[in-house]
Amino acid sequence: MAETPWITPAAAIAESFPDGLKELGPRVQVNLRGDVTDSTFVNAVKTATGLDLPDAPNKVAAGKECKALWLSPDEWLLVGEGEAASLVQSLEEALSGQYVAINDVSANRTIFEISGPYCHQVLMKSSEVDFHPRAFAPGNCVQTLIAKSQAIVEQVGREMFHIYVRNSFSRYAGAWLAEALVEYSETS
Amino acid sequence: MLNIDCPWCGKRHETEFHYGGEAHIARPEDPAKLEDTEWAEFLFMRTNTKGYFAERWLHSHGCRRWFNVIRNTVTHDIVGSYKMGEKPPKLPKRTGDAK
Ligand SMILES: [Zn+2]
Repeated sequence: MAETPWITPAAAIAESFPDGLKELGPRVQVNLRGDVTDSTFVNAVKTATGLDLPDAPNKVAAGKECKALWLSPDEWLLVGEGEAASLVQSLEEALSGQYVAINDVSANRTIFEISGPYCHQVLMKSSEVDFHPRAFAPGNCVQTLIAKSQAIVEQVGREMFHIYVRNSFSRYAGAWLAEALVEYSETS
Repeated sequence: MLNIDCPWCGKRHETEFHYGGEAHIARPEDPAKLEDTEWAEFLFMRTNTKGYFAERWLHSHGCRRWFNVIRNTVTHDIVGSYKMGEKPPKLPKRTGDAK
């Protein structure tokens, strides 16, 4: 298949993002659904990806090639680098015959990385979820609204978050995050 | 604004949810056998409760699960949430009573 360049609506403004905000390049994103109480399913996913799927809400499990974000009691977003097709294929092989859903959703969302001393304030401005360190830590993720658009927020470091936004909202969400970050950087 | 307790995700802001109306309305076993008035009864008629009310909510911007909430329609006091198929929490004695 011919290479299609990765261009999201946010790319138009990403060059003017302040320090501490950037749009990441394309990542492999595969949506996986299945029954986490079924050990056949859990073991097959482990064989295919090395991942122990998190069954606790809003947790991230890290593996070698990819990580798994809890989305709902039977749904995870697998995120990694490389080829989505090969991850989908290895999952399909390991899970063949089981009652599951495996979908490549790599082009669904783009990812903003926000980092530095003001990232918590930017999130607090953008959402009702408590992102204070006493309530939220690296390895946690949530699906919520960021400035009214649906997003997945994952904390990847003490002062670093990844915000997954639907491509069609990415220019709006990117502009919002940039504006918020500038606001706090300049007033502090 | 309400803070609603999703049985999976925990307390979240009302804007993440969609309202689904009265809970525990069983679909008729054999809809084809119903008279029009009985079908209309099932589809449209709801209790207009003043006080504690069992209602469905969808965590549409979160885990996308339906669940039930007991909420006071007068005071907005929320007694608790429970998953589909679970037993509702005990109701406070009188309308408007504190928990
Ligand atoms: Zn939820």
